[in-house]
Amino acid sequence: MITKRGLHSLVPPANRRRDDAATAAFPFGMGRKGVHEIAEAHYGDAGAAAGFALSALGASRSGIWLWIRERALMIDQGRVTGLGAAAFGLDPSRFVFVDVGSSMDALMATEEGIRSGAVSTVITELRSASFTATRRLTLASEASGTPSLLLLPHNRQGATAAHARWRVSPAPSAPNLFDARAPGSPRWTARLERCRTAPEQAGRQFNLEFDDETLCLRLVSGLVDGPAEARSARPADILPFRKAG
Amino acid sequence: MAAANASATRLGIGPGLRFADAKSRAPDVQAEPIDRGADAAALEALGLWSTRWTPLSAVDGIDALRLDITGCARFFGGEGALLNDIGERMAEGGLSCRLGAGPTPGAAWALARYGDNRVNVCRSDQSVEEALKDLPVTGLRLTENAERLLRRFGLTRIGQLYSIDRTALARRFASKEAANAVRFRLDQALGLYAEPLVPLRPPPDYAARRSFVEPISSSEGITAALEGLAETLCAHLEQDGRGARDFTLTAFRSNSSASFVSLSTARPVRDVGHILRLFRDRIEKIDPGFGIDLLALTAARPDTLETDARPLSADLAPGPVDRVALSALADRLTARLGEGAVRIPRAIASHDPTRAEVLAVFEGQEEDWDETLLAPRSDRPARLLDRPEAVDVLAEVPDGPPVRFIWRRVPRRVKRADGPERIAPEWWRTFNSEARARDYYRVEDEEGRRYWVFREGLYQDGRGGNPRWFVHALFA
Repeated sequence: MITKRGLHSLVPPANRRRDDAATAAFPFGMGRKGVHEIAEAHYGDAGAAAGFALSALGASRSGIWLWIRERALMIDQGRVTGLGAAAFGLDPSRFVFVDVGSSMDALMATEEGIRSGAVSTVITELRSASFTATRRLTLASEASGTPSLLLLPHNRQGATAAHARWRVSPAPSAPNLFDARAPGSPRWTARLERCRTAPEQAGRQFNLEFDDETLCLRLVSGLVDGPAEARSARPADILPFRKAG
Repeated sequence: MAAANASATRLGIGPGLRFADAKSRAPDVQAEPIDRGADAAALEALGLWSTRWTPLSAVDGIDALRLDITGCARFFGGEGALLNDIGERMAEGGLSCRLGAGPTPGAAWALARYGDNRVNVCRSDQSVEEALKDLPVTGLRLTENAERLLRRFGLTRIGQLYSIDRTALARRFASKEAANAVRFRLDQALGLYAEPLVPLRPPPDYAARRSFVEPISSSEGITAALEGLAETLCAHLEQDGRGARDFTLTAFRSNSSASFVSLSTARPVRDVGHILRLFRDRIEKIDPGFGIDLLALTAARPDTLETDARPLSADLAPGPVDRVALSALADRLTARLGEGAVRIPRAIASHDPTRAEVLAVFEGQEEDWDETLLAPRSDRPARLLDRPEAVDVLAEVPDGPPVRFIWRRVPRRVKRADGPERIAPEWWRTFNSEARARDYYRVEDEEGRRYWVFREGLYQDGRGGNPRWFVHALFA
């Protein structure tokens, strides 16, 4: 019996191949595919977590970014603003902000956003998400192809059905070329706690720097010791995380 | 005594009588203190319920409703049938009422209060003058003095006023204005002057109604009926080639009360599925009570519908954003989270970065941002706190950056700092001469956390005491 199949089923499409390759290396598909959790390492690291998320948005597909946030967290940590995002080279007119009162509402809005297909990425700041909830979001994300980022507080522990969980904390910034006493490009330490597509990389720590001029995120080595002295970045393995196209 | 029921009236107890006199006539009379506020609220609720017969209903005084039933009678089988329906339903709700209908509000007022029967209609073949001829002059809504004066002249029936000359009347009255007022009221009753009605709710542009023989009391019933109503309404909208943005579902209960839920969409819509999905969660808010016997779905704010035809080739696509789908998503989120939940940032022309942006409610629009604002700069923070928080700071006077500070009870030591960036207050906005300039510093502590700290005021600037320090934002 001859079963007819289209040509496209014989050769995987180029997009899918590139995506699969991308998820095996840093940043493991964050902002491009799947649900990623970004958690604070300690209370007060919300700025670093937001910066990490914003740097990932630079490489996402064109389209609207839906940013959902719980009001209680905003009172504590402050809000990401359009001008703040512009500092990362992002266009503020692409943001749509949704303010919710509870984590349940935040999860509902995230699922609606993912399933709608009208936005390119959904970013959610919420206080907690159960395993079942992350599973629902992962299934929704796979069905519609819309990636999602969940920003969670420092007490985020336990199992998750998301593709990856990152633990972000700030690190002393790069040296400022113009003024030695001033802070330079922001740097963060991101530890990959769990990763579904690259489980052997779990536990690995990445030292990252967001370059203000080129607007890309780089891996930086040589920051293991001494936060007091800011060394200039010796990029051993640079993986420029640049907007494609 | 402000009001009495039928049995009390039979014993001679009526408005104006003192309570002691009333008790003497009927020792077992029961009285309650009158609550005008509650009465007014109940009357307004009754007025809203009366929109089941006509969209134009208003409260008239403290004990009456005025309904404009132009064009509504044919849905109920004629004016007489409509009035009988009103009377029956009011009686079911436990209210006794007198009804009057006529071509003018003044005529209806007079017929309702002073007509012979409980239901008085001025038929279309009967002229207004005929109908009002035998009613007493008090039916013209005159002042007490005017009434007394007319009675003194023996003018007790409205019919007697028709032939009286205006100047003759003016000579009898104290002033020309008083005479004109009487004449004006008469002209209003006869239809020579208009009396516009201010409705309790603005009349909708499109409406679909459905009444039930058996009152329904479950949300499944409401949902099922809503489907039919939405299809009818959307068919009307389609005929006109428009969509609407405000939708209201009103449920009229059989006990003279009504409840309604409304929602608005970002763009004009007329898609039945979309409307049903938006109403799905709100139907629980309708309390059926003893049963709903009429459901009405109305639409307002109609506008031409923009249909984005999907282009066949991706090259012709207008842009990466499907605005129709985005508006639909925003509608669904607003329906479940409340009005104003979905917002987009909008640029404000201001040099103060904390005021240069505001969140505007999303209504399907696209905001454009000036190119100069989009240039990436490292001195704008990622997370802005809603309110600056006061901190204790150790810094070099007069304008050195902080060296140590305590924020949220945690001491932090500053390793690197940049600044000051002076942001002066917008003097044209504030009349407060005490507004002080702010010097913003970007500071980084030992662990790498970066803050946006400002000092409000300068030392010895003459606008208050020593300046205070605040944390306003967090950097990435």
